[in-house]
Amino acid sequence: MHATIQKPIQEIVNYIKPGEKVFVVGCNNCAWKCHSGGVDETKMMAERLSRRGVEVVGYTVPGPQGMSLCKLDHTEKVLKEEFADLVAKADSFLVLSCGQGVHTVIDATGGGMVHPGCDTIFGGETVSATDIEEFCSLCGECVIEFTGGLCPMTLCSKQLLNGPCGGAEKGKCEVDSERNCGWVMIYERLKKLGRLELLDSYQKPKNHAKWSRPRSLRVSTTEATFSSQAGKVTVSNQE
Amino acid sequence: MKLTELFDKGEFVVTGEIGPIKGAINRDKSIHPTCAKEARTLHGHVHAVNVTDNQSAVMRLGSLAASVALKQQGIEPVYQLTCRDRNRIALQSDLLTAYSLGIDNVLLLTGDHIQLGDHKEAKPVFDLDSVQLLSMAMGLRNGHDITGHPIENPPDMAYGAVVNPNFEPLELQLLKMRKKIDAGAEFFQTQAVYDLEVFETFMNEAVKLGVPVQVGLVVLKSPQMGRFMNANVSGITVPSSWIEEIGSVDKDDRKKKAAEMMGNFLRQVKPMVQGVHLMPLGWADVVPSILETAEISIQ
Repeated sequence: MHATIQKPIQEIVNYIKPGEKVFVVGCNNCAWKCHSGGVDETKMMAERLSRRGVEVVGYTVPGPQGMSLCKLDHTEKVLKEEFADLVAKADSFLVLSCGQGVHTVIDATGGGMVHPGCDTIFGGETVSATDIEEFCSLCGECVIEFTGGLCPMTLCSKQLLNGPCGGAEKGKCEVDSERNCGWVMIYERLKKLGRLELLDSYQKPKNHAKWSRPRSLRVSTTEATFSSQAGKVTVSNQE
Repeated sequence: MKLTELFDKGEFVVTGEIGPIKGAINRDKSIHPTCAKEARTLHGHVHAVNVTDNQSAVMRLGSLAASVALKQQGIEPVYQLTCRDRNRIALQSDLLTAYSLGIDNVLLLTGDHIQLGDHKEAKPVFDLDSVQLLSMAMGLRNGHDITGHPIENPPDMAYGAVVNPNFEPLELQLLKMRKKIDAGAEFFQTQAVYDLEVFETFMNEAVKLGVPVQVGLVVLKSPQMGRFMNANVSGITVPSSWIEEIGSVDKDDRKKKAAEMMGNFLRQVKPMVQGVHLMPLGWADVVPSILETAEISIQ
């Protein structure tokens, strides 16, 4: 999931010009989990903006709980059909979701003016109803087979691939003494699994071209093609 | 002069360390930056002087410029190069530049994280880790860049690396040390150590790897510094006995006391190692007495 956090209300208000009519859109999946743009927060945002003198023409959070705003066909249907009248009155859309959702609203409204209501902060695991933690950096070249499933690109502050730096103390990272050293975590896990030999092999430098932006994925039921500055890679899911 | 030649001859290799100034070198050549003055104090007592690379992630004069300045004064530099601020293009280019400007020794490190320094909002690079950096540097020596393209006039410098004997679990730090050796590390300088037992445990394992090790010593100047390092400097632990001992004398007598404490410790660890790396942090003038107490003199 994409973790998001609402921007300060005054920052959002400052985006909106005097007299601008705003339609607020939330997301029923990730932003709902983050309490940054679910049904309750979206309704509340409409009220908070109104209280501050912003003219809000309507709001919606497309789909049932679990539906992602970034699913374009659904969002388009909701905004263009269900909310067509209110959307037509809007000068702009305040989107309470990640950056993908913001772009989905641009697509779903035929290029409408958008304002981001959230900062998109990371891709994370919903560990509990109140905790979202980052375990993957979306780097495009997964190395976690060699680390027992724990990502050094994410859990190590320096993104080291061949073991720890010398900075950790008592198992804590040199950057933050409250946080565990990613490499000590990897070591302890592999030791417990009896697989420490996985750490012996040299890990070559990352191909950062796979981490270039923007990237794209074309999928069918039988194969997928990943495009980045590293080129196109097509993989079959059939053999 | 490559330090590896000294290790090969069986010499006990002594290096010091200076941190480049926060500022530029004056164009009036009669005005020397403080770091050059420190290096001159060390000269004659050490084989070479490490020049740190924006240490603790605090922006300063470049390590290469300061290294070249020392070389011009007849002081052998160990040019430190970190992965923090440079991608693989810049790292390789800087290695070629260093050799072209007369550098013979490079210490290749990961580098302290930006969050420890004075430019916390900068983008951390860490394109490579120190093992990959060593491997890439060896590639340059063997005539090709990291992509395999041949290079003209390959550089020939000695490649050093660092290791932290205080690291827990030690096995994990030794694993990294082995990888550095496999990648091309020819000598090691350790993180500062103060605990004889910890260092002995480390050396019992490190000696099996067959690569020269210089014990790293940071001169403890005051009890405040000891407490500060424990709270703020990653990877170093100053035992309370050291803090009490340096605090047991008046401020005026601390240089003498520090030389005695560091010298005695060095005399004890000397048989275990192939050299010492002294980090005087501004107290370059105590280095001669540390070495004298430890009964070490360079050829």
